[in-house]
Amino acid sequence: MSKVHEITVWTSGVVKDKEGRDVANGLALAGSKEGKFVQAFDNYVDLPDRVNVPVRKYARISDTEIEMRYEYENHQPEVVVLVTDAIVKGMNVLRGMQKGGVLVVNTPRKPEQILKFVPNKDVLKAVVCVDADGIAGLRTVDFSGSEGGIDTTKLGAGVAAPLLGALAKATGLVKLESLEQVVANKAALKGGYEQAVIHKLN
Amino acid sequence: MYLIPEHKQVPFAGCTTAPVSEQRMMITGNWRTYRPVINREECNLCLSCVAYCPDACWQLNEAGDEVVWNAEYCKGCLICVNECTHGALSKAHELDFEDGVVRLDKPF
Amino acid sequence: MAKEVMISGCAASAQAAKAAKVEVICSYPIRPYTAVMMELAKLVANGELDAEFIHGEGEHAQLSVVYGASACGARTFTGSSGVGVTYAYEVYSPIAGARLPVQMMIADRTLDPPGDFGSEHTDAFCVRDMGWIMGWAEEPQEAFDNHLINYRVGEDPRIYLPQFVCQDGYFVSHIPGKVVLPDQSQVDEFLPPLKMDHRLDPKKPISHGPQIRPDQGDALELARAMAMNEVPKVAKEAIDDFARIFGRKYSPFVEEYMLDDADLAIFIQGAHAATARAAIQKLRKQGVKIGMAKLRFVRPWPTEAVAEALSKVKAVAVVETQTSYGGATRGGGLMFEVCTSLYDVPKRPLVTSFMAGLGGEVVKVEDFEYMAKHLTKAIQDGKVCKKVHWIGFEPD
Repeated sequence: MSKVHEITVWTSGVVKDKEGRDVANGLALAGSKEGKFVQAFDNYVDLPDRVNVPVRKYARISDTEIEMRYEYENHQPEVVVLVTDAIVKGMNVLRGMQKGGVLVVNTPRKPEQILKFVPNKDVLKAVVCVDADGIAGLRTVDFSGSEGGIDTTKLGAGVAAPLLGALAKATGLVKLESLEQVVANKAALKGGYEQAVIHKLN
Repeated sequence: MYLIPEHKQVPFAGCTTAPVSEQRMMITGNWRTYRPVINREECNLCLSCVAYCPDACWQLNEAGDEVVWNAEYCKGCLICVNECTHGALSKAHELDFEDGVVRLDKPF
Repeated sequence: MAKEVMISGCAASAQAAKAAKVEVICSYPIRPYTAVMMELAKLVANGELDAEFIHGEGEHAQLSVVYGASACGARTFTGSSGVGVTYAYEVYSPIAGARLPVQMMIADRTLDPPGDFGSEHTDAFCVRDMGWIMGWAEEPQEAFDNHLINYRVGEDPRIYLPQFVCQDGYFVSHIPGKVVLPDQSQVDEFLPPLKMDHRLDPKKPISHGPQIRPDQGDALELARAMAMNEVPKVAKEAIDDFARIFGRKYSPFVEEYMLDDADLAIFIQGAHAATARAAIQKLRKQGVKIGMAKLRFVRPWPTEAVAEALSKVKAVAVVETQTSYGGATRGGGLMFEVCTSLYDVPKRPLVTSFMAGLGGEVVKVEDFEYMAKHLTKAIQDGKVCKKVHWIGFEPD
């Protein structure tokens, strides 16, 4: 029974819902290409049909079969991704994180500016800032995949791609090559990988 | 015979106290990415922001000489910025401000 | 070509309806089953499924629409959750009594009050006496397969009964799992088109549901009861055929998991059976001889299969994810039928029940370990300490 790596993605309802879902699904799909056991699902109580409400998407990756499949949230996220940077002020995003976690934020600002708003930063080993909006240039909006449905637009055509690249660089949970197989905007994926600013702490 | 632990206590018949002027169980200030910023010199108290805000986050104060912004509930929809008749309202990114931190543990 | 995808239970149900080439769909939104109708709407809109997609004005309308459509011989599909299921209550008995093979997908949701989206089986359970076939799925693949199996059984000329195909809301309906979508030729081989001689037809006019006298009523009820008796044989044939064509072998009624040499058994249905499996593997490594009997059909209740599975063990934990307030055990509804099935068994096991997952609360591996601990103690004491345990609310 090996460790289940939990990744929580915070995003804004409706306008960036698909992007959050793409990060979680992209991670899970890349993991399954590497032969890992994965899950990717939306948080059930967040009710993402409200514009800009903070919502969560989850991905879980493990080397062996995941024992507890039916959970409502990731209780001990190892990696937290913020598709909307302002959520760092709005929610206790590091709740449940154990020591050595990573925070990835879609922002043009510097890691020090983000850290100002994170009181419990002693659990973090790194903060990663990547200007995903600047790199990808667009956000995809697609309601077809919400509520357990199947997305009809491509995975990673918008800001999810650079975020996935930054995540791969900072955590090594999945390889960039695996992500390249599942993400539509490969240039943005590479851009996120190369331009991510990783600030190490502790 | 059975014990309901502290963290699982629920009100009788699942009924909660009804909100009168605000709903403390649904703080929405954490939805903001941008916030409205007011230039008091340009403001002529037309009260368009008060009228248009869908969440009543602009209110005329007691003295009647200023409109007051509610940081706890403002969702950052920027309708007030759009409707301001004198260009007194503009938008600014939430992370430019150290105040107005909501940091909820759970969404509701 | 069969292909493997990661989709949620709702999407799997929609794909099953598409594979079954349903002809009339009636929708009305209620979370969590809504996603099925969202997916079906997409499939109908882009031409992948040629079906009439009708918006009902409520769940009562949904069932009334498919009642009419099925009466004309169309293969129908509808669904609901929670209080939506109860809103349509009036129409269930007429559909079953008219022998119309309507299929309804239920993604479980706790009944009000207050508004809880979490999964509880009570919504479907409270309509289990209406004369429909009813069973649960543990994961999206099983949900997909159950839809096809239920159409095959329900539309069989020896049966003609409607079916509830149920899955836990959120756990199965919204969390994606691996599903192998079969090739259409496999589905066509397994599921022939619907033929109903008793359909409404201008050339052979019949009336449905006329007024009758009380002295005519009992014979009709007997006929309905006898119809249900035919289901086990037909279901077994369908399951065997399913295994032959698709390569997935299901137990028709009760899946026995590690039960042959077991002393303790978990009796369970629905999503949490997946967690039970993991718990049983863990407990086995600790030397606890425990197994699981997973119920696949609640109606018709597989009395002999349940008795056979549970008489192998010394103590049974019935996991109840639904409520029957004021019932004989003041707990859930499965207990009554388990005890009835075991009544005539010469060496009856000890039986107790555990209320788990109510309101949609998560059921953890530790909860199954707790159940095993109580079963072990019951065997030592020669009796159970109580008939109903509420997981998470016990004093110890």
